Amino acid sequence: MNGVAELLLRHPALWRGAGAGVPETVPTSFRALDARLPGGGWPLATLIELLVPATGVGEIRLLLPALKRLAMVEGTAPRWVAWLAPPHLPYAPALADAGLDPARMLVVRPRAGPDRLWAMEQALRSGACAAVLGWAGTVDGTALRRLKLAAEEGRTPAFLLRPATHRGDGSPAALRLVLAARDFGLDVEILKSRGGAPARVERLPIH
Amino acid sequence: MFEPRPAPIVPAAASRRLVPLPAPNALAEPGKGALWLAAHFPSLPLDALLPRACQGRAAVVVTAPDDPRRTVVACNERAARQGIAPGMGLNAALARVPGLRVEERRPAAEAALLGRLGRWALQFTPVVSLEPPGAVLAEVRGSLDLFGGATALVRRTLAGLSAHGLTASIALAPMPRAALWLARAGLATTVTRTDALPGLAARLPLACLHWPEDTVATLAGLGIASVADLVRLPRTRFAARFGPRLLDELDEGFGRRPAPRRRYVVPERFDERVELPAAAEDAALLEPALEHGLARLGAFLNARASGIRLLRVDLLHRARAPTRLSLALARMAGDAAGLRLLLRERLGRCRLESPVDALRLRSGVLLPLRIRDPELFERGRGADPEATARLLDLLRARFGHDAVFSVQPVAEHRPERAFRIAEPGLADGLPVPRPTARTARPLWMLAEPQPLDGWDGTLVTGPERIETGWWDGHDVRRDYYVALSRAGVRLWIFRERPPGQRWFLHGVFG
Repeated sequence: MNGVAELLLRHPALWRGAGAGVPETVPTSFRALDARLPGGGWPLATLIELLVPATGVGEIRLLLPALKRLAMVEGTAPRWVAWLAPPHLPYAPALADAGLDPARMLVVRPRAGPDRLWAMEQALRSGACAAVLGWAGTVDGTALRRLKLAAEEGRTPAFLLRPATHRGDGSPAALRLVLAARDFGLDVEILKSRGGAPARVERLPIH
Repeated sequence: MFEPRPAPIVPAAASRRLVPLPAPNALAEPGKGALWLAAHFPSLPLDALLPRACQGRAAVVVTAPDDPRRTVVACNERAARQGIAPGMGLNAALARVPGLRVEERRPAAEAALLGRLGRWALQFTPVVSLEPPGAVLAEVRGSLDLFGGATALVRRTLAGLSAHGLTASIALAPMPRAALWLARAGLATTVTRTDALPGLAARLPLACLHWPEDTVATLAGLGIASVADLVRLPRTRFAARFGPRLLDELDEGFGRRPAPRRRYVVPERFDERVELPAAAEDAALLEPALEHGLARLGAFLNARASGIRLLRVDLLHRARAPTRLSLALARMAGDAAGLRLLLRERLGRCRLESPVDALRLRSGVLLPLRIRDPELFERGRGADPEATARLLDLLRARFGHDAVFSVQPVAEHRPERAFRIAEPGLADGLPVPRPTARTARPLWMLAEPQPLDGWDGTLVTGPERIETGWWDGHDVRRDYYVALSRAGVRLWIFRERPPGQRWFLHGVFG
């Protein structure tokens, strides 16, 4: 995009149909993905669904740069990142290597069932966390809507990780991605994105 | 009668010139000295056992268990309407009202209620003194202006007590003992001058002195019915017959002798029982009692200007050891509102094994409340400590203490020992651990390495040799590799070095 167009886009009086209500975002730090997301990154203060075929395809490596940007703001104390019902224990040395403060990770291992979503809702609504990550299986539409409302109310991004088998389910999430591992990289399919269009980004170089 | 004429206990105005006695305590002059408010609670033995709301429509009396006559100590209004009065024998009471509900007096519960009343009175003045068994004294001279005068203060006190279902008779006098007499006699009056008291003495029956029964009986036998009759007795003879202590009491009452009072000091910790009206078999039925206990705790913390970080709640069962719950808070609680929410979550988690008769609430150490939050100006920039602490408390109340934690790296070469579970927020202010130069570590660590039999994925990088730990009996000899499973998941696996040679999965790169 050339300089004039960029300046025009930033002008508050200019109204654009396609980008109506461009959300506030934080860059994913993957240029190819940022280019396809409305606002150029993860939308803040709403529900984002990541559908994964198996734990470990790269979903956390995809999120880590954004988590670092959200939690470790220069000049202030590190903010909390909540991990609700993670499949395994987050490994502190790996978190430190990623530039996060492990002591600011709030790991919650609730019993199975609706309590997981309750915990996620509380964490979102409290506004105490820079980001909330939650793992769940089948979630009905009402619960998803509640999560989205809680994210908006607490102004906190909610990353909900679910098995890819749920890609056909309806969801109120502002952004839904399906992830798949391929050739040491990550294929990202944008199923739904508010203010944007479905798209595919292939072989994202995650390390 | 005799000469020289003996000095009466309290001389009449005319005789004051004839027999010089020490002048009334100068401190007790109006406007200058103390003004004591005495609140007497005639039905305290009953209120301590059964709050008014739980009495229903029954006529209830309380008797002392160690009294052979089972004298009625207190009765409710319904019983009083049917002709029962304190001091009556139980048989006489039962003859009047056959369906009478009879309760046994419990001094411990009475003392606890009186303590609560003392604490409640601290909202009016810092100088409060208890007069067991059934009265509270408060020095209110300094508070009169604040509360709009004596009449307004009394009205306010009575309204506050009646909101708690209690009735009291209240009187004010410069001397604490005189105020007590007036309150016990039911004379709702304010005496501001020491020399006004003798004029009221005729309306004070002997019973308001709370003297030993045989003394009162002897005096009654002498034809003495009121304090006015009493003070006309000769001082020296009275002292010789009934002992100097009772004479001192009279002198205290009439301001001829200073009467220092022991100040009520709020205990260091909160520890109270709340009785349930009926044994509860369901946790939901505990809520009203819990509400009640928390309201008391709130008043307690208010009086101490303190907060707590630990609250223990014991559910007392009739036939087995109490169920103990404890609530450790990440953030100091200075009122009951936040605790209520947390306790409800906590109670929702626990199953009652046996019906609950009563609750016992105990606080941990009291901590002074910080009026100004030093992190006020940090809000909105970094983490909000209040919001985090609230979230932490809420999650722990629901899932248990150990279900919520954070992690910390530990300087250790063996991967399974390179981290530990930590209390969230404890590392605040410490430097954030720096990334290390060693090879990448997986984000997910398995609790135990899992044997990989029939492994057919691809090795990506490695080996990284990690060895030894003989000094603590957990020796490792491993070669670690980054590998890719057939599903494309990046794994951290190791092969035991000879003689083991088996493959294990240890982590997933997330």
